[in-house]
Amino acid sequence: MKRLLALLLTLALLPVAFSAFADAEFVDGKFTEPVKLTVEVYNRYNDGGTDPTSSVYAQYIHDGMLEKYNIDVEFVSIGRWSEVDDIGNLLAAGSAPDVCVTYSYPTILTYADMGGIVDLSGPLAQYKDELGNLWNLLGDYNIYYDQDPESGVLWCVEAKLANNARINTFIRKDWLDKLGLAVPTTEAEFEACLIAFRDNAETLLGADADKMIPYLTTSDIGWMNNQVIVSHIPNDISDETAYVYGYDSRQVLMPGAKEGVRVLNKWYNEGLIWKDFVLNDSDQADNLIKSGWVGAFGHNYDYPYRNGEDSIQASIQRAAGPEAAFVAIEPFTNDAGIPRKILSDTVDRKCFLPSTCKNVHAALLYLDFISDPETIKFLQVGKEGIVHEVTEDGAYKLLTMDAENKAVWIQNSLNNIDHTITVNGQYLGDATAASFALGYAAVDPELLTIAYSVAMNEGRVFAKFSVGAIAAENEVGSSLDNYRDTWLCKAVVAPVDEFDAVYDEGQREYLEDKEGQSIIDERAAKILEVYGVEVPTDLLTK
Amino acid sequence: MPIRSKAQRGRPENGHFSDRGGTELTQKSIADAGTPPVRQRKMSFGTYMRRYGTLYILLLLPVAFFLIFRYYPMQWIALAFKKNNIIQPLWTVPWVGLDWFDKAFKTKAFITAIKNTLVLNLMDLVCGFPAPIILALLLNELTFKRFKKLTQTILYLPHFLSWIIISGLATRLLADNDGLLNLVYKQMKGNSSAYIPFLSNPQYWRWTYIVLGIWKEAGWGTIIYLAALTNISPELYEAAAVDGAGRFSRMWHVTLPGLRPTIITLLIMRMGYILGSEFDRPLAMSNKLVTDVSQLISIFVYEQGIQGLKYSLTTAVGLFQSVIAVIFILGTNALAKRIGERGIM
Repeated sequence: MKRLLALLLTLALLPVAFSAFADAEFVDGKFTEPVKLTVEVYNRYNDGGTDPTSSVYAQYIHDGMLEKYNIDVEFVSIGRWSEVDDIGNLLAAGSAPDVCVTYSYPTILTYADMGGIVDLSGPLAQYKDELGNLWNLLGDYNIYYDQDPESGVLWCVEAKLANNARINTFIRKDWLDKLGLAVPTTEAEFEACLIAFRDNAETLLGADADKMIPYLTTSDIGWMNNQVIVSHIPNDISDETAYVYGYDSRQVLMPGAKEGVRVLNKWYNEGLIWKDFVLNDSDQADNLIKSGWVGAFGHNYDYPYRNGEDSIQASIQRAAGPEAAFVAIEPFTNDAGIPRKILSDTVDRKCFLPSTCKNVHAALLYLDFISDPETIKFLQVGKEGIVHEVTEDGAYKLLTMDAENKAVWIQNSLNNIDHTITVNGQYLGDATAASFALGYAAVDPELLTIAYSVAMNEGRVFAKFSVGAIAAENEVGSSLDNYRDTWLCKAVVAPVDEFDAVYDEGQREYLEDKEGQSIIDERAAKILEVYGVEVPTDLLTK
Repeated sequence: MPIRSKAQRGRPENGHFSDRGGTELTQKSIADAGTPPVRQRKMSFGTYMRRYGTLYILLLLPVAFFLIFRYYPMQWIALAFKKNNIIQPLWTVPWVGLDWFDKAFKTKAFITAIKNTLVLNLMDLVCGFPAPIILALLLNELTFKRFKKLTQTILYLPHFLSWIIISGLATRLLADNDGLLNLVYKQMKGNSSAYIPFLSNPQYWRWTYIVLGIWKEAGWGTIIYLAALTNISPELYEAAAVDGAGRFSRMWHVTLPGLRPTIITLLIMRMGYILGSEFDRPLAMSNKLVTDVSQLISIFVYEQGIQGLKYSLTTAVGLFQSVIAVIFILGTNALAKRIGERGIM
């Protein structure tokens, strides 16, 4: 009897089980049956942050997708700082989410070679009519950015970098004032300021004088000191040369970069740079800046102003009084006397679909939904009255929330970029410009206005060349980036008279042993082949 | 009292069985005491299973563990001889022969990694392997039980710290300028720019790496030796003392020979690890100035495999490591047998 009952029960449940696999049809802009869709979301595990898979913002997307398309979205969280490793593991295991996002194009290429990634060229053309928001946001430029010029295959679409300001150098304005120094406008003046900080440590820090760090860097030399390095790159460098020598995202392979590193080496040996930077991580560096012991440093163009009450700016005001402030400056000028900044192209993360994606149509509709201006607005500024208020001139001003609201409405990343996977940076239509400086709680908007204009002043975006995949780049993976930091750190801390030997040996190892030269060679060959421009490949070694 | 043989020790004495001596002796003693021998009757399979079946069921779990997590994944060793593809079914991926091995040995980073792994493992073997033995000998000499227990507990504690925490501590203590030790050193020297580059000079770094490893694991490593020490009969010590052996002589002639089988077994296992490398330890302890000596095979595999997605290359490296490990284990084992030890196989 029992067996019979069990059998009947099983038979009764079978249709229910199978219905889940029934093909949902797309009728009048909506699926007839609920379609399950898994979507990757970065998790930063911030103190006081929310679970990105179930926060109010995740819920908003889930409900919106269900209502609009009958697509049941489930988020899969991936560690932000281990995203390349994590997504690689999931792809390898065949359990990657249906919609994936990564900063690493080599990862996508490697799995594409293995047959693990969907070629989007076909589906995008097929469903283009339903993807108006995606096209409005990204345009052909971002959508077809990575398309192979020969075969036409397209493994991902590039998210839009709404704000392509990149790096700034910051200095303690209150220290300059205290010592009667003007804002430095040349490298020599900047160095004089650092020396003044070092020699007046007691005036500036009192009992903490021995903690004085005139200038701070981390082991990511190329990023933290980008403006020092870029100012030594010739102003007339052609886009083609910049492309051939532009594999490294910090421009350290470009002609002239060595002289920039030499400046750092000199400062290090004069005791102007934090001595133990190689042994510590970036968190420790942040803590030193927040403690108010650091005179100047370079970083992301808005770095000191991020994270509201926990920002560097708010922290130094607590530590050193309300007049304490880091302001953006541009003392580093190139051979033409221009304070050149290298700006990013308008591309950012790469959205792609693994071949395990069960419903490509639904996945593309997700990308469209997440690119809808209404969706972006909600994700970036939340609910009016709680997260933001609208000022008289129509700008969105972020509010400092009380603990109760913060627990629910906090955004784990600036502008909620972990959720807005097709756009990085504030994107609020006509209100964007006016809202920008108001998008940082607890920081004087004036500081942001300065930071943004300085970061964009004399900015240059190197032209893009569509030459298809560079096989050598795929070959070296991330080991080259790891080695770059080793090379530059060694060069910075070397004794002054050994700088050339240490730098050149590091460069030789980078180019020869780590096969960096093969990338330069292949890029030069492709530029010649596709665009007919010849770029010498021995600029670094001759 | 004369020193007795192992077999003699098991015999009943003053109406009690000795609590040292092992099971075979106890059975022998039972036989001596006149218990009738157990009748050996052939058991039917059914009876056998009824009696011992539960034990087999208990065994299922570990067997399943090894089948699923150890033997099943072994098919992927084939990847070392195939094209780098982990998406397509394994049998459809084309063979490439020994290409990946060829590539590995042509990669300078791999050769450096082998060299670094060998150097650090040999240093660890020479300095780190005897450390718990010496420590166990010292602990064994402590007479106050409470003090001994306290010392042991304190010695075990570092084992439970992760390398991430230890590397953090090391930076705070040993950094060139802000490290506590160097601050003291500067005071002593009266020179604010004097320092010992514990972490930033490759040669110093190697020793820091080894010493911290000993500090972390030596205490924990004593456990197995202390357990072996309890198997040495106190009577041997008494006899040696009667024969005029001092403390050091007793350690040398009684304790150490008693530990010999354990030492040999652990040494054989350790030799199998000669090309093996920890991952968290070098990863946490390394910094950009010492990568020339801190890049070990495990880091190479991580950078090339997990980060660089060259799974075939790193599978080849892993296979190479395993083959070397087996050769070393078999070699040391044969050597141990040759000098009259039991070995592990």
